[in-house]
Amino acid sequence: MLQVRALRKAFHGSAGQALFGGVELDLAAGECVAIVGESGAGKSTLLNCLAGLEPVDGGSIRLAGQELSGLDDDAWCALRRRRYGFVFQAFHILPHLNVAHNVALPLWLLDADERAAHGAALHMLEQVGLGGRGEAWPAQLSGGELQRVAIARALVHGPALVLADEPTGNLDPARAGAVLDVLLGRVREAGAAMLLVTHSANAAARADRVLRLTGDGLVAAEAP
Amino acid sequence: MGGALRHVFIASLRRRRLATVLSLLAIALGVALGLAVQLIHNAALAEFERGVRILAGEADLQVSGARGGFDDALFLQLAAHPGVAEASPVVEVHAALPGREGSLRVLGVDVFRLAGVQPALLPAADGEAGMLAALAPGRIFLSPAAAAWLALEAGDALAVQSGVHEHTLTVSGSVPAAGAGQVLAVMDIAAAQQLFERIGVLTRVDLRLAEGASPVQLRRELTALLPAGVFVEVPQLALSEAATMSRAYRVNLSMLALIALLTGGFLVFSTQLLAVARRRQEFAFLRALGLPRGMLYRGLLLEGAVLGLAGGVLGALLGHVLAVLALRLVGGDLGAGYFDGMRPALHFDALLTLSFVALGVGAGLAGSWLPARSAATLPAARALRAGDDALLHMRPRWQGVVVCALGALLSAALPPFAGMPLGGYLAVACILATAVLLLPQATRLVMRLPGSPRALLWRLARARSHAAPGQAVVAAVGVLASVALASAMAIMVSSFRTSVDDWLTRMLPADLYVQASPSAASGFLDQDALRRIAALPGVAQVQPIRAEQVRLRSGGAPLTLLAREVGGGWGLPLVAGSLSTGEAELPPAWVSEAVVDVHGLATGALIELPLGGQWHAFRVAGVWRDYARQHGAVVIELETYRAISGDRRANDAALVVHPGVDVAVVATALADAFGENMLRVATPGEIRALSLRIFDRSFVVTYLMEAVAVLIGLCGVATTFAALATARRREFGMLRHLGLTRAQIGRLLALEGALATALGVAGGLLAGGAVAWVLVEVVNRQSFHWSMDISVPFAMLAVFAAALIVLAALAARIAGAQAMRQSAVQAVREDW
Amino acid sequence: MKVGCLRMTAFWRLVLAMLGAAVPVALPAAEPAEGAAYAPVLPGRQLVLPADGGAHDAHRTEWWYVTGWVEDEQRRARGFQITFFRVRTLIGEDNPSRFAPSQLLLAHAALADPAHGRLRHAERAARALPPLAGYADTHTEVWIGDWSLRWDGERYLSRAFGEDFAFELAFRPTVAPLFNGDQGFSQKAADPAHASYYYSRPQLAVDGTVHVAGEELAVSGSGWLDHEWSSAIMPPGAQGWDWLGINLADGGALMAFQMRAEDGHALWAAGTLRASDGVQHRLGADEVRFQPLRYWRSPRTGNRYPVAWRVEIAAAQGRAARVVEVEPLMDDQELDSRRSTGAVYWEGAVRLLEEGREIGRGYLEMTGYGERLRM
Repeated sequence: MLQVRALRKAFHGSAGQALFGGVELDLAAGECVAIVGESGAGKSTLLNCLAGLEPVDGGSIRLAGQELSGLDDDAWCALRRRRYGFVFQAFHILPHLNVAHNVALPLWLLDADERAAHGAALHMLEQVGLGGRGEAWPAQLSGGELQRVAIARALVHGPALVLADEPTGNLDPARAGAVLDVLLGRVREAGAAMLLVTHSANAAARADRVLRLTGDGLVAAEAP
Repeated sequence: MGGALRHVFIASLRRRRLATVLSLLAIALGVALGLAVQLIHNAALAEFERGVRILAGEADLQVSGARGGFDDALFLQLAAHPGVAEASPVVEVHAALPGREGSLRVLGVDVFRLAGVQPALLPAADGEAGMLAALAPGRIFLSPAAAAWLALEAGDALAVQSGVHEHTLTVSGSVPAAGAGQVLAVMDIAAAQQLFERIGVLTRVDLRLAEGASPVQLRRELTALLPAGVFVEVPQLALSEAATMSRAYRVNLSMLALIALLTGGFLVFSTQLLAVARRRQEFAFLRALGLPRGMLYRGLLLEGAVLGLAGGVLGALLGHVLAVLALRLVGGDLGAGYFDGMRPALHFDALLTLSFVALGVGAGLAGSWLPARSAATLPAARALRAGDDALLHMRPRWQGVVVCALGALLSAALPPFAGMPLGGYLAVACILATAVLLLPQATRLVMRLPGSPRALLWRLARARSHAAPGQAVVAAVGVLASVALASAMAIMVSSFRTSVDDWLTRMLPADLYVQASPSAASGFLDQDALRRIAALPGVAQVQPIRAEQVRLRSGGAPLTLLAREVGGGWGLPLVAGSLSTGEAELPPAWVSEAVVDVHGLATGALIELPLGGQWHAFRVAGVWRDYARQHGAVVIELETYRAISGDRRANDAALVVHPGVDVAVVATALADAFGENMLRVATPGEIRALSLRIFDRSFVVTYLMEAVAVLIGLCGVATTFAALATARRREFGMLRHLGLTRAQIGRLLALEGALATALGVAGGLLAGGAVAWVLVEVVNRQSFHWSMDISVPFAMLAVFAAALIVLAALAARIAGAQAMRQSAVQAVREDW
Repeated sequence: MKVGCLRMTAFWRLVLAMLGAAVPVALPAAEPAEGAAYAPVLPGRQLVLPADGGAHDAHRTEWWYVTGWVEDEQRRARGFQITFFRVRTLIGEDNPSRFAPSQLLLAHAALADPAHGRLRHAERAARALPPLAGYADTHTEVWIGDWSLRWDGERYLSRAFGEDFAFELAFRPTVAPLFNGDQGFSQKAADPAHASYYYSRPQLAVDGTVHVAGEELAVSGSGWLDHEWSSAIMPPGAQGWDWLGINLADGGALMAFQMRAEDGHALWAAGTLRASDGVQHRLGADEVRFQPLRYWRSPRTGNRYPVAWRVEIAAAQGRAARVVEVEPLMDDQELDSRRSTGAVYWEGAVRLLEEGREIGRGYLEMTGYGERLRM
């Protein structure tokens, strides 16, 4: 479903020095791949490149057969709206919207009917174990709950690809496990593919495959 | 943009309540003040227009001179002219009312001739008064507004003053068609001439043209009949005259309001800029979700527009309230004295209101334009990362500085445009822009100054300002703008007041002043009264002063003609020329600065004055400063005046008492001799005190606007620091972890606030000095034609500056209190 | 419209004030100057023309009243009327102002045109202020702006115009003046205090031009001038009067009037009848009787006017009794000023019939048939 070929990215501002190069990746629909690597290896940058948030210096990205490198900003935006879901380490829950509205946000961006969006958001919240919390404000929620909201938001519009960047990085191990359960469970249920960038061996172990990002590209990681 | 998506932006305004409310209030105040000034002025002008229309009625032409009037034999010629269908004579007197403040405009009319020209002035006799009451002496008819003002009804007695005598008139009915806003009274023309000792005098004749008569031709023919200083004009001229008269004043007030609005817009800018800085991650995340740049940009503009709209609507409401209050409390000219004798009523003007609401929206949009643009070009990937702190960078823009500074210099040198000092206003804007553009560099320089950075907080504050001067600059700019305007106004007012005070001292050399009635009204001192005054014990010298009005040209505002003694120590506050009359072939005249500006005269020039129906030439011997008569005044020797005009009356008399005589005793003797209410007797000290009180009152509106500007500046500091404090919660949490106490963080915020404000204040004072110079030398000179000596109220400015810095420090600290309430642990852990 | 309306207010208030109680109206509370008073009307004064044709401004009220019939070249008959009033107000006589309103002048003109069906009329009012409005006291001359009536030694010349009509007429006397009452002393009530000086100029030969309905017409006909001045004319209790002035076809003239009480009965009546031979008969209070024959109700005001009369003139020495009838040129010759003051009266051209035969033409004036005035 996602095919990445010879993807290259230099350090920001210095054209010569490569951050990573020769990244090759094939991701099948419904597959969950974890990407590990040292701090500064460019894991987040790789995700950003795959989402069109950062320009790449070479290579090809194809999603469901469509070549993405070279798309302009608006085309990337449209693509992200329809096909991508994001889960961030820092949650990125808008504090001035209530929980249901936060979840409905991707549907709003797709110009969905407001009531339908609200219904879908409430349904999604139930799925992540936050049924009945739709009217709550982000400030009233714990970190783990916030990340579940983020998961609900990432999946509410039925994306083909979920990019999760350290989704449990801000959570204590107990909560992290629970959140990961929800994330993997829901993504699989939705039939979406997922790239999971993580430091956590526990988290990586739950993926279908684990790849390590090095300066030369992605290599299969030995099981921890 | 998706309907629901609007929530994302609008809801954000709700969250930043303090900043939102303050920005909104600033815009609302600007809109309210501007709208109120316009509404009040429109109401006054509309009422004035109604007055002109009622008085002119169906007249095609009006023959009028100055207040002093002209020989009524002219009426016979005008009415008999074949081109004239109807002619209505009017003698207008501003009757002094003993025991009451103010004077009543009394129109002596011929009821038989009114009907064909000014039917709205027809008196309606009360049933009891009888049918010939409209002709009878001792009868007066009040317009509804006059009756309300005087609280009189038919049958009541009204005392009026003529000369130094009191007469009682019976209110015998009303002037029903005069309209609700016109304060006037009507009586028979012959009765008015006799009562007010104006036998043989008319002040106006309104003419209706015969069918088929050409107005142009007729004007030419009639002009040939007119004595010097009397002109035949179309009635609309009076309207444009009034509009012109008060225009400079109105433009001045509007400019102040505009500046308030501008400050409001700037406040939006600063809060939006900071909000954008703080919401970088939010925007980056929205971009990650697929929000296109354009939509982000529009969303932020929408936020500004919503703020502007809310502010505009609130301002429109507030403006109407303000206008109603001002009309009720101060009158249609905001205390400036342009529209006497009217009770204007406010009218809702949808278009005007909408355009001011639109101005509010404009201010909101303009304020969020740059921040929106910067947000839209944000590199999303980097901002997504947690912990990326918002730092604002501002670079000095030297080209801008040079352009603005040059612009200020050039525009200050421009001549007035249609009587308005537009160049002056432009110069003020350029000075402000220059100061604002210079501020970042100034901040940098100040932060580099070697100080005593031993104290930890000082070091932190300075480091912060140095690393991110943008924040300090944003806070400081608001302060700078408001301080510049407030201090400029303070310097201007102080210069004005000092100059007026000095002028009064020089204008009032006598021991005691006697006035028969305020300026134009119906009291006067005749020869007999002057003799009786001179004969009072203790009086050494009586110097009569005759004040009349003359018009030098058609359509021009009337000049005040002052006939008095000039030599012999009576003096004049000259700015050019001399008091010596010399052996010139022409009698001397001393003109005020306004005459110089408006009529382009200078010392040595020839000036022709209409006296006794003839033009008489005078030589300008000097130019004097006059703050009392905006349209100009000419002083000539009393003897010359009397010889030419034969008029031996006086309006005022200046008395010198014998050494050792108590002026209070003389004043009492005057009251005993003429009656309590007939003469106004005052010492120079009292006149000065009264004049300065009136002076201060007329600046009330200015003070109000200044206060608003300063308030808005302080709001800027508060919002800036509220926003900064929220954005820096993590930083403060970290500092708390390092062992800083809550109080210390409060002090840190206060210090930063004080630092930024001090910069703004310093810049503002410098810019204010420059603006004050422009106000004094360009704006005032061109608007009102008076010069003044600059006098800087140093102590007051110092107190003001210090107070502002303390207030700003407090504001910063209070605004930051919210941030400090949070637990340090939570603040460090939390991303938002 | 409004202007006209208001102008009429001023006019009619003054007319009515001047006429005293001609219609029941409160008299103006004029404030007479100290010691000033109206000159009295006393019997025995010899009236001399042309000097007495001028104004007598020591008296309170005075009028010159010209009425008559004219025919144009197509022999269309019209009635006309032009009146100048002078009123001494006793106001401002000590006021040196040229505008002092001590003497007021009012004028009224009307044209009765059967083709139009009702009166065209206009009026003027001014304070006496020569040269704009004034009067002479040596001969008949009185004017307000462009309106005038003037004796030029041979003829009376008059000019008047309104919005929809104008006339310029000359009146040449063909017979001697008619001094009414006792040598011009005309009593208005049993009490001789209510009297006027009163002479008429009957049988005036009229010619001139009339502008009406866009036409300029050369006209000629016969007219009648009344000149009357007094200081106290109306007796108490009088509701109104009926007055008649007729040029008889045989060269004679008839003037008759009655003062009516509120219930309609005559308080006083008098008249003058000049026979064709020039012999003049003074008709005393019991020698002339007015009897209404036909009424006309105004569709505008609802007032009912006796527009046709029988007038009985008693026999006396050297004179046979006569019964004549008065028929109007048209019924609607009502002057309606209700919109301004409510003053309404009837004044119009009439024919005089005797035994069904027209024996003269002239004017009839009837006042006091309206409601009480609302002032």
